[in-house]
Amino acid sequence: MVSRTHLTLSMTSLQDRNNLVATNNSIESSSMRPMDRSDSATRIWLYSGIFWMSVTMLIGLIEAVKLFYPEFLQGIPMLAYGRLRPVHTNIGLFGFMSMGYLGATFYMVPRLTQTPLFSERLGSLTAWVWNLNLVGGCLGILMGYSKGKEYTEIPFPFDMIIGLLVIAIAGNLFSTITMRREQRVYVSLWYILLAIIPFPIYYTLGNASKFSGIEDAIINWFYSHNLFGIWLTTLGLATLYYIVPKQVNKPLYSHIVSFVGFWSLAAFYPWNGGHHVIWGPVPMWVMTASVTASIAMFVPTFATMVNFGGTAWGTWAIMKRDIGYRFSLMAYACYVGASLWGTGLAVMSLNAKLHFTNMTIAHVHLGFLGFGVPGLIAFTYFYIERSLKLKYSRPLAEWHFWLTMLGIVGYVVSMGISGWVEGSAWEAGNSPQGTMVDRYPYHVARAISGLIVLLGQFLFVTNVVKTVNAPAALTATSPDALQS
Amino acid sequence: MRYTRVFPIVIVLSILFGLAFTGLVIAPGFASDIARAPTVGLVAYTAPEARGRKIYAREGCVYCHSQQVRNVKADENMVASYGVSKAGDYFYDTPHLLGTGRQGPDLSNEGRIWRRDIGQPARDYLIAHFINPRQYNPSSIMPSFDYLSEQELSDLTDYIQSLGAWKDNVPAEVAS
Ligand code: HEM
Ligand code: HEM
Repeated sequence: MVSRTHLTLSMTSLQDRNNLVATNNSIESSSMRPMDRSDSATRIWLYSGIFWMSVTMLIGLIEAVKLFYPEFLQGIPMLAYGRLRPVHTNIGLFGFMSMGYLGATFYMVPRLTQTPLFSERLGSLTAWVWNLNLVGGCLGILMGYSKGKEYTEIPFPFDMIIGLLVIAIAGNLFSTITMRREQRVYVSLWYILLAIIPFPIYYTLGNASKFSGIEDAIINWFYSHNLFGIWLTTLGLATLYYIVPKQVNKPLYSHIVSFVGFWSLAAFYPWNGGHHVIWGPVPMWVMTASVTASIAMFVPTFATMVNFGGTAWGTWAIMKRDIGYRFSLMAYACYVGASLWGTGLAVMSLNAKLHFTNMTIAHVHLGFLGFGVPGLIAFTYFYIERSLKLKYSRPLAEWHFWLTMLGIVGYVVSMGISGWVEGSAWEAGNSPQGTMVDRYPYHVARAISGLIVLLGQFLFVTNVVKTVNAPAALTATSPDALQS
Repeated sequence: MRYTRVFPIVIVLSILFGLAFTGLVIAPGFASDIARAPTVGLVAYTAPEARGRKIYAREGCVYCHSQQVRNVKADENMVASYGVSKAGDYFYDTPHLLGTGRQGPDLSNEGRIWRRDIGQPARDYLIAHFINPRQYNPSSIMPSFDYLSEQELSDLTDYIQSLGAWKDNVPAEVAS
């Protein structure tokens, strides 16, 4: 029996093995407290991530309206543009992206290691403290205690608590990984290791240091770009690498390509920070190193493109059937798009024209709204179907998909054109005040796109809440719908 | 055995991260071409200016206004009038407020436009503009900062008038 299992196991790919032994449901008893049951941490992190995703979209929409109709909600200091904007970014990065993808991480790690999480209880506890802490930090910003430097706005002590929580989370995950029963280390785990190991270093550096002038700027961007690149992006990619092969029910196109993709990303991403101050008064070699590394990012981007493209090739039938899979593909396409776009923005001549314009905003939202949002949605649908074994409403999900798609395209195209128009106008001798009127239609279009995304999000949340709370008999998936 | 597959990964990752850390964090601390001294003529912020700077940071002015003139075509007019920003110009800036976007104009030389020697009219304009930007430019999208106290508006004005103002006091032969 044992050897037969072993035989079948070694014949299937590592990915498929994870389908065989899902969780340790067998050792779960009703006497366990809810917070000790498996996946209880996953659920809190994931649902919190979805909650914050909605909040950050709502705030983004308010800001977007204020950028063409500044009297909107005027007169309430807590809703002033300059205070809402850091709340939008911090909730986006630390609420939605961090929490949502940590939810996925807490789901993946026990399965990839074939080992129960080191401590479900610690996992759940850190999630609740994280939520409370984030509320505190954002209230601090809204009440005028922002630290005032981009991506480090959350005031003391809330900023430091995030760092401590990540150490606890990393410890929890890392312990699980070292105690693992599965010897092989799948790509997703590499990305997770990259995410959890250096974080405390650059996070503390970025938030607790007091440098001045240009040195402060270089360190600020070293921290920020690592936050986007080797914390959020890596967790996002880990999730996609995990769910896509399962959604298409075949192994990853090439493990060699993922190897190249991972190690080139790990080598080049931490050098990218300086590309935020191209043409600034920074030492020449900081700029050269960062621009070179940004252009070298083409290698991991290309590897990801080939690997997911190869895996997805010829899966039209699954695309039609599985809406979650479509979201994975959307995330994948936008990730590749945002990364190529980023490489383009790091080209010195293009940066000269487009830095300071809405083109950066387009790039950022192609990254977060185009890659981060659909990626987490894909994971959520995956989780509901495959792990909870529930069936969500298909018409709602179908609407959700098309609204999200439309909104993302609208956002990125409007801001992209606006950025190009601004850059061209400045090069022709015009000033930012002079282009205010030119930006108006694009800002309106961006707000409409945001509204469309938010509508889709509303359908999504409704769908998830209804599905998860519905009586099991009504929503259980039929086995053939899963076929995995 | 368990460790054999994870620890090499951890070590190589640490080395890769450590390299970038050395290059972008430690090395600038020793670099000779990063400002170790203020640009000639730069003066430290006075107490009201420093308070104003804090307000500028916490109210989020930095999200729409850069403080950085680059030697590129898009900044040509500013370069012609005020020159390119140098590292030493930021010597007293903690935190830095270089900015990443220009929904509004660059402010690194604002104190040379609304100069102190204009006197009260310049202050009156700046304060009234903070309170209601659309009084002067109906299509402006700048938020109105009507919720700031009189003291805060005054500090903010002091800070804005300090931006780049010192450059006007530097004798031409020293500046070059
Ligand atoms: C409904 C969707 C959204 C809308 C309407 C929206 C709107 C906006 C607006 C108006 C800005 C300020 C742009 C400026 O300064 O000119 C902004 C910035 C930003 N948003 Fe969003 N946003 C949305 C979704 C998101 C999401 C989901 C994230 C996820 C993390 C996000 C992350 C950011 C970041 C990081 C910035 C700062 C960009 C920079 O400094 O260059 N946004 N957004
Ligand atoms: C190969 C990958 C990438 C490269 C080379 C790259 C490059 C760049 C460059 C050059 C800028 C500065 C633009 C400017 O200010 O002129 C930038 C800004 C930014 N990027 Fe990327 N990017 C990449 C991928 C991503 C991804 C996938 C995300 C999000 C998940 C992201 C998030 C951001 C954010 C938030 C900013 C704005 C920071 C700010 O100004 O506040 N980037 N990126």
